[in-house]
Amino acid sequence: MTMVSAVKSEWIKFRSVRSTIMGVIVTFVLTIGLGALISVAVRGHYSQMDPLRKLTFDPVSTSLGGTLFAQFAVGVIGALFITSEYSSGSIRSSLAAIPDRTQLAIAKLVVLFLSLLVVCEVACFITFQLGQTIFSGVVPTASLSSGVVLRSVILAGLYLTLLSLLGFSLGLILRHSAACISVFTSLLLILPIVLFLMPQSWQNRAAKYEPSQLGQSMMSPTSSVDGFGTWTALLLLTIYVAVAFITGVILLNRRDAGVN
Amino acid sequence: MIKIDHLTKRYGKTLAVDDLDFEVQPGVVTGFLGPNGSGKSTTMRIILGLDHASKGRATINGKRYCDLKSPLHEVGALLDAKAVHPGRTARNHLRALAASNKIDKSRVDEVLEFAGIASVANKKVGGFSMGMSQRLGIAGALLGDPGVLLFDEPVNGLDPEGIKWIREFFQSLAREGRTVFVSSHLMSEMAVSADQIIVIGRGKFITRGSIDELTATVQGTVFVRASDTTKLTEILTSDEGLVQRINDNGLSVSGLTSDRIGELAFSSGVVIHELTPQRASLEEVFMDLTADAVEYGSHSMGAVDE
Repeated sequence: MTMVSAVKSEWIKFRSVRSTIMGVIVTFVLTIGLGALISVAVRGHYSQMDPLRKLTFDPVSTSLGGTLFAQFAVGVIGALFITSEYSSGSIRSSLAAIPDRTQLAIAKLVVLFLSLLVVCEVACFITFQLGQTIFSGVVPTASLSSGVVLRSVILAGLYLTLLSLLGFSLGLILRHSAACISVFTSLLLILPIVLFLMPQSWQNRAAKYEPSQLGQSMMSPTSSVDGFGTWTALLLLTIYVAVAFITGVILLNRRDAGVN
Repeated sequence: MIKIDHLTKRYGKTLAVDDLDFEVQPGVVTGFLGPNGSGKSTTMRIILGLDHASKGRATINGKRYCDLKSPLHEVGALLDAKAVHPGRTARNHLRALAASNKIDKSRVDEVLEFAGIASVANKKVGGFSMGMSQRLGIAGALLGDPGVLLFDEPVNGLDPEGIKWIREFFQSLAREGRTVFVSSHLMSEMAVSADQIIVIGRGKFITRGSIDELTATVQGTVFVRASDTTKLTEILTSDEGLVQRINDNGLSVSGLTSDRIGELAFSSGVVIHELTPQRASLEEVFMDLTADAVEYGSHSMGAVDE
């Protein structure tokens, strides 16, 4: 038995359930639809914007604003890919077919990474182009012919893909869909609010470590003063995913899979 | 061949499997009998590498399950028929399993056809009845044409026709030289479907043998109708017989053979009207074998201790 057959098997599983299809549709709608809505709103208000904000206006990350919402959709896709196996009990037939649990987890990770990368890159490129079309004439625009702009759009797609892997890894650890989605949402939404209530000095130091802040650092062409640089942000997010995934694999190997 | 080697499984404080040690041979249908909660499913999960043994091991053809290169070609199992993603079609479920072990796609249609669910192959499993799910599970177990097959309570939810089909199917698998290991908590089911029966209770091995051997170990009673049952009771009791009065002139005697009862009655001049040995029923045998090992025994409601 090889990794290739394990990946083939997981690919059949991944695309043969409605939750995946729905998740992909929602990802497109949120990335492109809300991205376009944000762009239209910005175009309408640009003339009244104060000069300082106009100076720092970034047409790239603004047009990619829909990713802030799509990150929840991709997280759910990733989480359900494994938690639905536990809730239905099909994890038992999966493990009977592929007893090497590490191999099973890696096969799932590979399928999720490749398919979500395609989906998220397509969504990000479309929303970027759509945003620039909406901006043109009124608001400054960016072009993919610029290396940094191209990098930002690609990394926006990669950011979403990595978040789906984070959702998947949390699923490996927690095994229950509801618990997993709650924790994932808390990491992205609640953690920043908690941090907001902390003293200013803590905020300055800690906020840049939040996954969504790392995402902002990854998808803006210019590095901001209080955030990480593009590549450092990518590296940190990858480390988050790796730590969560390895923890999940260790638990998968250690735990009994027979009874939930 | 399946070999269970001093297997012990502990869940926290609960001892689910307690030093089980037996072999399951190819060529016959081996029943795995025990009351609910006696450790049958746990043992099967450990055989499949799903749960980790606390002590001892289970091997298939000399190898642990997790060391099998292409497990579906060697072992087919149906543990829980409902353990399938409800939103996936039967065909896609089997295709995913087949792909993982490099089994040809055409084999999926073959097993669907064999299990009698080809007509619902493209329907979502969530809408399947228990019987259809069992058939899908059997199709999955047969995918890799394995030499060893495990079925956990396979007749649950099957209609009479399905039960008949599955019994004949187990026998034909065994005749082909395969190892067939089937669990049940019903002695009557094992009596008609299994050649060899392994009995466990509370995780412990109790006994093994053919249905006749198991029945023989439990002594039956003798029904006696006689002219003077009071006198006969006295005589039989003095000869270590256990006598229970059934009606005015009928007794149920255990601990003595019908021959001995006849001799005792003759020598004391009691007229015998009827002398019938009663073979223990399958349920009685099962209850007798597992009496000390019932996890969830029923207690009479509202009984007052005297």
